[in-house]
Amino acid sequence: MSTDAIPLLSPELLAQLERLELVSRKIFRGRIKGERRSLRKGQSVEFADFRPYVPGDDLRFVDWNTYARLDRLFLKLFMEEEDLHFYCLIDASESMNFGTPTKLDFARQLAAALGFIGLIRSDRVKIETLGQPASQPGATWRGRASVWRMLDHLQNIKPGETTSLAQGIKNFCLRNSGRGIVVLISDLMDKQGYDEAFRYLTAQRMDPYIVHVLSEEEVEPDIKGDLKLVDSEDGDVTEITASGPLFKRYKQNLNAFVGGAQEFCARRGMAYLFARSSQPVDQLVSGYLRKRGLIK
Amino acid sequence: MMPQLTNMLAPWQWALLGAVPPAIIALYFLKLKREPLEVPSTYLWHKSIEDLHVNSIWQRLRRSLLLLLQLLLIALLIMVLLKPSLQGTVFNQNRLIFLVDNSASMGATDVEPTRLDVAKQRVHELINQMGSNDVAMIVSFSDSARVEQMFTDNRGELRRRLDAIKPTDKPTVISEALRVASVLANPGRSATDMRTDTAVAEAQPAEMFFFSDGNFVDDPEFSLGNLSVAKPVWIGTQDPRNVAIAAFSTARSETNADKLQAFARIENSGLTDASLDVELLLDGNVIDADKVTIPAGKSSGVKFDLEQITSGVLELRLIVDDHLAVDNHAWSVVHTPRKGRVLLVTPGNEPLQMALRTERALETADVMLKSPEFLTTADYKTQSAAAAWDLIIYDRCRPEAMPQANTIFIGALPAGEQWSELEKVNVPAIIDVNRAHPLMQWIDLSDVLIIEAKPLVAPAGSTSLVDSTEGALLAVGPREGFEDVVLGFELVGADKIGTNWPVRPSFPVFVLNALGYLGGNRESQGAGVIQPGRPVALRPDSEAEQLQIVPPHDAEPVDVSRGKHGVFHFAGTGQVGIYEVLEGSKEIDHFAVNLFDARESAIHIKPERALKIGHVETESAADWHEARRDTWKLVLLGALAILVFEWYIYNRRAYL
Repeated sequence: MSTDAIPLLSPELLAQLERLELVSRKIFRGRIKGERRSLRKGQSVEFADFRPYVPGDDLRFVDWNTYARLDRLFLKLFMEEEDLHFYCLIDASESMNFGTPTKLDFARQLAAALGFIGLIRSDRVKIETLGQPASQPGATWRGRASVWRMLDHLQNIKPGETTSLAQGIKNFCLRNSGRGIVVLISDLMDKQGYDEAFRYLTAQRMDPYIVHVLSEEEVEPDIKGDLKLVDSEDGDVTEITASGPLFKRYKQNLNAFVGGAQEFCARRGMAYLFARSSQPVDQLVSGYLRKRGLIK
Repeated sequence: MMPQLTNMLAPWQWALLGAVPPAIIALYFLKLKREPLEVPSTYLWHKSIEDLHVNSIWQRLRRSLLLLLQLLLIALLIMVLLKPSLQGTVFNQNRLIFLVDNSASMGATDVEPTRLDVAKQRVHELINQMGSNDVAMIVSFSDSARVEQMFTDNRGELRRRLDAIKPTDKPTVISEALRVASVLANPGRSATDMRTDTAVAEAQPAEMFFFSDGNFVDDPEFSLGNLSVAKPVWIGTQDPRNVAIAAFSTARSETNADKLQAFARIENSGLTDASLDVELLLDGNVIDADKVTIPAGKSSGVKFDLEQITSGVLELRLIVDDHLAVDNHAWSVVHTPRKGRVLLVTPGNEPLQMALRTERALETADVMLKSPEFLTTADYKTQSAAAAWDLIIYDRCRPEAMPQANTIFIGALPAGEQWSELEKVNVPAIIDVNRAHPLMQWIDLSDVLIIEAKPLVAPAGSTSLVDSTEGALLAVGPREGFEDVVLGFELVGADKIGTNWPVRPSFPVFVLNALGYLGGNRESQGAGVIQPGRPVALRPDSEAEQLQIVPPHDAEPVDVSRGKHGVFHFAGTGQVGIYEVLEGSKEIDHFAVNLFDARESAIHIKPERALKIGHVETESAADWHEARRDTWKLVLLGALAILVFEWYIYNRRAYL
């Protein structure tokens, strides 16, 4: 599938994105002064939201008033920081090269949109793929002037990487020890599972967002007859006979898969977002992600 | 009634066919040539397949509708290859003759609703199974046969004509039905007497189907020729209940001529004893009743002594719940006593004249005595032709032409060629007397000697009353509604005494019997038995040229014209009951039609009874089968439907 055919950022989207900015639920110390208010400069904490307390959270941010009222622990969140690190981690495995548009295209578009928001707000933006070796840190961009470089980088991301999800994230964590927002765009189709990979992310004390993207063909498979399904990544063959019970079972598994990931993320304070590759990115950005608080 | 599939294959062929479904199942598990399809990840598919694999193989099979459909399809295709057809009544010909018995016994209700209705139902089934090339003919038969529908392939018309067949009260005679059926099959032989046969063409074989209870006498004389007979299934049950009036008659009391006695014989043809009430009705009013118990298979007599009854209609009614109703009623018409008119033509016969002068004889008849010369007079000719006498006794003389009257010939033969006699024999010994005949009731001839006699050769249909070692000495023969009694020896000879019978007590009794039976007096006692279907010859004391006869059950009146010899012939006696005879609107007479047929009344069927026609004996079948019908086309259609369904499921995954 041609990646050039799909513009990463349309003018309309750009106009939309101009008005947005990335938001972190955690307070990160910036290295350079940015356009964000500092926690330390004043006590004018801009309160945004509550989040249920999860063991391991910093007790200093527990809202004791709420606790007194509701007898439940909540964290006060969304203190803003001056300089935000925004990481976008794209799964460029072969399995992402499916769908119309491909999942990878979707990932690139989403990364471009989010990266653009970060760049125009003078955040530190870094877009990497899972297949990137640990010893090879990628470029970091900042400022509106870097948009074209970021887009150029995105255009050059090709499918076919073979690094496993866990290994890719581990490498990413090794490369980027700093805090910040990390958005992982992947189909999570890794036969070893995603548990280990996600644990790396949480351990990194980053603010992770998981965008789980699947193509229409995966959500609503439209296949008939007796088939030999060949795995695009490892060439594994699974023979199926398209039948009602099989589709039913597939749906059950898919739901369990998505539901499992969602629950896993919720438990660990990670934001999970399920998307179909056919979904327009602008819709996702201006609608869903805003609602989920990644941007405002 | 389980139809069986015709076994058309050898065991090894069956085995081969039987191996096909397992082979399909085996193939189902073998690797199919699957179309490769690249997917992002087989992760979820693999998992799903594994989940399904967890289920047992049989569960997979159970859930695999496609496999089941394939197996079903193959099974149906195998069936198609077998050319399935249901075994049963097989149409061997494409010309079918349905012979439907509508005799009295077919009205039995031991099968619901009646045997005739069941027979019609069977015919309907066969009509439904007729192929497009089949033509059928429907014949109903009782004592006569009737072509209800000639050969046609119009099933609607066949059904309509079949439904129009009505039950009758007649006995069953199979011969005419066979002749009618053979019209087209054996044209050369039967064309002469068949009105239905217009153009005798080549013989066209046909198959006959009998729908009857088998209650008839086989016809060993008939030759089937081109006809074939399907195995009959007798309609009815083996143990029906039936109590029948086998005979019913009235007679004047021996001791008091004014009193009437009614006699009946009641038969129980069922397998259980019957206890029932018997009612006697005069003109619709019960005048007497009796209770009888009749063991299974036996008969019992009932006698009623009646007060003075001059005329009327007596009805005997059995109050019994049995399976055949037609024989539970019998009728007898009592006429106003009328003396018989008797002419004795004799050169002189003192014993006979004495016998005719007894008190009872005088009560019974008015006797006119004439000499043989009288036979040549115009007076005699006119009166004998006009039925002026009921009985004419010719003693040693014979008329030129037979009169319109019953006759007794003594030592002479009736006019015409029908009667003849053998050479004179001396002292023939009497060996048998037919006491069943009314003429010979209470007659004992053991003490009678006959010096010489000429044994008689009676015409067909005659009954021998007295048999000797040399031949019949006394016989009675029918003639156009009359009866001629011929005595083969002279009572008194011209010169010597020929027999001692006149001085024996039996002689006046015989004369009295003759007066009663032949002298017209019998009509007054309703002794004549008319069975359904038999023609009636009426000689009313009326000058009318046309009479109306009203059959029972409010049927349409029938006009009857006076026929030859002044006799009214009526043949429409299909129903039992009382027939009214009207002259204009005036009721002048009645006559009764009664079944009185032990064979029709014995309604239990013998399922194994074979049907013997000519020398061909056809075994009966135990049960009805659906007629053979090729079903492979239907099966093939079903297979196609399944194939389409399978295709639909495969493509749409519109799955259970």
